[in-house]
Amino acid sequence: MKTDTVISIAKKEIMDNIRNKWIILVSIMFAVLTLVVSYFGSIMSHGWQNLGNTIGGMTSFASFLISIIAFMLGYATIIGEIERGSMSALLSLSATRFEIVMGKFLGLGSVLCFTVLVGFGAAGIVIGVNVSNVDYLQYLAFIGITMVFGLVFLSVALFFSTVFSKRSTALGGTIFLWFLFNIILPIVFFGLLLTTIDITTITPESTLTVPLWYYILELFNPISVYSALIGVTIGPVSSSTGAGIIPNPSWYSPGLLLGVLIIWILVFFILAAWRFNRKDV
Amino acid sequence: MYYPPPAQEHQHMVTQLVKCPKCKTKISVTGNPGEKIYITCPNCQEKGFYVLPRVQQEEGRSTEPAAIVVRGLTKCYNNFKAVDNLSFTVKKGEIFGFLGPNGAGKTTTIKAILDLIHANEGEITINGIDVRTHGKEARQHVGYMPEQVAFYDNLTALQNLRFYAEMKHVSKDECSRLIEEVGLGDVGDKKVGAFSKGMVQRLGIARASLGNPPIMLLDEPSGGLDPRGVVLVRDKILDLKKKGVSIFVSSHILSEIQEICDRVGIINKGRLVAQDTVDALGKKLNLKPQITVTVQKMSPEIEKAVKKIPKVDHVTVVGNTLEIVCDATTKATVILAISSAGGTIVDLQMKEPSLEEVFMRYTEA
Repeated sequence: MKTDTVISIAKKEIMDNIRNKWIILVSIMFAVLTLVVSYFGSIMSHGWQNLGNTIGGMTSFASFLISIIAFMLGYATIIGEIERGSMSALLSLSATRFEIVMGKFLGLGSVLCFTVLVGFGAAGIVIGVNVSNVDYLQYLAFIGITMVFGLVFLSVALFFSTVFSKRSTALGGTIFLWFLFNIILPIVFFGLLLTTIDITTITPESTLTVPLWYYILELFNPISVYSALIGVTIGPVSSSTGAGIIPNPSWYSPGLLLGVLIIWILVFFILAAWRFNRKDV
Repeated sequence: MYYPPPAQEHQHMVTQLVKCPKCKTKISVTGNPGEKIYITCPNCQEKGFYVLPRVQQEEGRSTEPAAIVVRGLTKCYNNFKAVDNLSFTVKKGEIFGFLGPNGAGKTTTIKAILDLIHANEGEITINGIDVRTHGKEARQHVGYMPEQVAFYDNLTALQNLRFYAEMKHVSKDECSRLIEEVGLGDVGDKKVGAFSKGMVQRLGIARASLGNPPIMLLDEPSGGLDPRGVVLVRDKILDLKKKGVSIFVSSHILSEIQEICDRVGIINKGRLVAQDTVDALGKKLNLKPQITVTVQKMSPEIEKAVKKIPKVDHVTVVGNTLEIVCDATTKATVILAISSAGGTIVDLQMKEPSLEEVFMRYTEA
C-alpha cells in the first residue's frame, strides 16, 4: 500500500464531499438542533441547559442523524463510481483496490468527523458562552464518541457500496439497515426482554433485573452501544432505544463499549476491502 | 459459419552481414528469420549458404515483448460467455483496431486487459508483465480511456486532472499543458458537472495521456464527439503513434479505423473472427473494388463490351451509369473497353473494398 495514493484519494473525497450541499445542511442542522435541545430541552427548566444535560438530550438525535449522514456519504461511494465509470479510470491509474477503500474511508471519515465537530462544536461554544461551569472535556468526549459511532456506520455503508451491483439497490439496502438499527432491533430486543419479565411484579420501587443475554444482544446494535457508552462515560441519556430506560450493567465499561464500536468498524472495513477485491468494475 | 484461422503474422525481413570464409569479403544477406540463403561470393565466386537467425538481433538487444498479449481469454457472466477463448497480440508501436458489433465483448476484453474484471481463464501480459499477478505494475505502462468517461462533478477540470496526476506522479504544469492540448484551456477552472459530453470526452483524452504511457487503450474514443472532436482524437492517435506509443483502439467508426489502424481484430459473440491488416482481410474474403463509370450516352454495345471482359463479376446499368465489380487487375481493361465501344466517359469513381464490407462479412449471423 502506498501512503501517498491513499492520501490523494482521501483528499479527493474531502474536496468532492465538502461541497456537497447536503453535508453542509446536516452540519447546520446539528448545530441548530443542539441549541434547540439545550434551550428548550427540559420542560421543567427555562433557558440554557448545561452541556451535560444537552448531551443527555442529544444522544438519540445524534444516533439518528449521524447514522443517516454516514450512510449518505458511504452507500454509493464504490458502486456509484463503478456505475458512473470513474472507478475504471481510477484503477487504471495504478491505484490498488485496497488503497481505494482505505482512501475513501479516511476521506469520508474526515468529512463525517468534521461535520460532527463543526455542528456540535459551534453549538457547544454558544452554550458555553451562556452557561457557567462548563465541562468542556466532557463535551469533547461526547463529540469524540459520536465520531467513532459515525465511523461504524460509514464502515457498514462502505461495505454495502461494494455488495450491490446497482446504486439504487445499495440505497434500498442502507435504508433498510437504518431502520433495522434505529427501530427494528430496539423493538425486537425490547420485545424479547418483555416476554421474559412478569410485568405485574414491577412496582415503581422495585429495580428491574435484566438478564445477561439482553445486554449481550445489545452489543450487536451499534446504536445501543453508543448510548451505553455515552451513559457510562458522561451520564444518563434519554434514548429511543431500550438502553435509555434500562440501566447499564456494571460490566459495561467504557473500554469494552469503545472496543465493540472499533470491532464494528474493523470488521466491516475488512469485509468491504475483501468484497471490492473480488468485484468486477 | 467457419472462418479461416488468422494468417501467420507477417515476419520482418532480417538483414545480416556475413564474411566469405575464403576471401573475407563482407556480403549482405536478406531474408526471413530462419531462412536458408544460398550465397555466391561476388569477389572469389566461392559458394555456400547461411541460415538467418530466428530471433532478430539488433545491436545486441534481444527482441522486446509485445505491447499486449492476450491468450485464451475467457470471461463468463452467469454461464454466459461474454468472451470466449480470445487470443491476439498488439505489437510495439502499432495501432490495433478492435471492432465488433454491440455486445460482442469489446469492453469486457479491454477491462480484462486492465484486470478491472477478473477473467475466468487466460493469460494477459502488458509489456511482458502478467496483469493478474502484477496488476499495479502492468497498469503503470497503460493510459486508458473508458467508453463511459466520467469525472467528479463537484471538482473543476484541473482539480480532477491533478487528482489523477498525483497517482502517476505527474506535475501540475503537465496537467495545465494537457488541458490546453485538448482545447479545454478556457474552462480548466470550471466544474466538470457543467461540461458537455464532448468536453468530458476531451478531458478523458487528457487523463489517458497523463505520464506519457507507452501503451494506450482507447474504448470508443470518438463516441459522442462533434466532427472537430473526432479530428482531434484522430490527430492525437496519429501523434501518439509517431512518438512510438502502441495503441489499442475500439471504435464503431469504421472509416476512421481503416484510415489509422495498422491491423484490426474483429470480435463477434465473444470470439475473435479475424485479425490482420484491412487489405489482407479484404483479400481473404475475396472482396473486389467497385468502379462507377458515367458515360455521355449509354448503349447496349458498351454494356456488352464490359460484360465480355473476364474477371468482371457484376455489371449494373442505371441510366448513363455503369456499376462494375471486377478484379483489381482488370480496372484499366474495363475503362479501355468502354472507350473502344464508343462510350465517352464523363465521370469515374473507384471504391476499394472497405473495412465496412470486411466487418459486415465477418460479423454476419
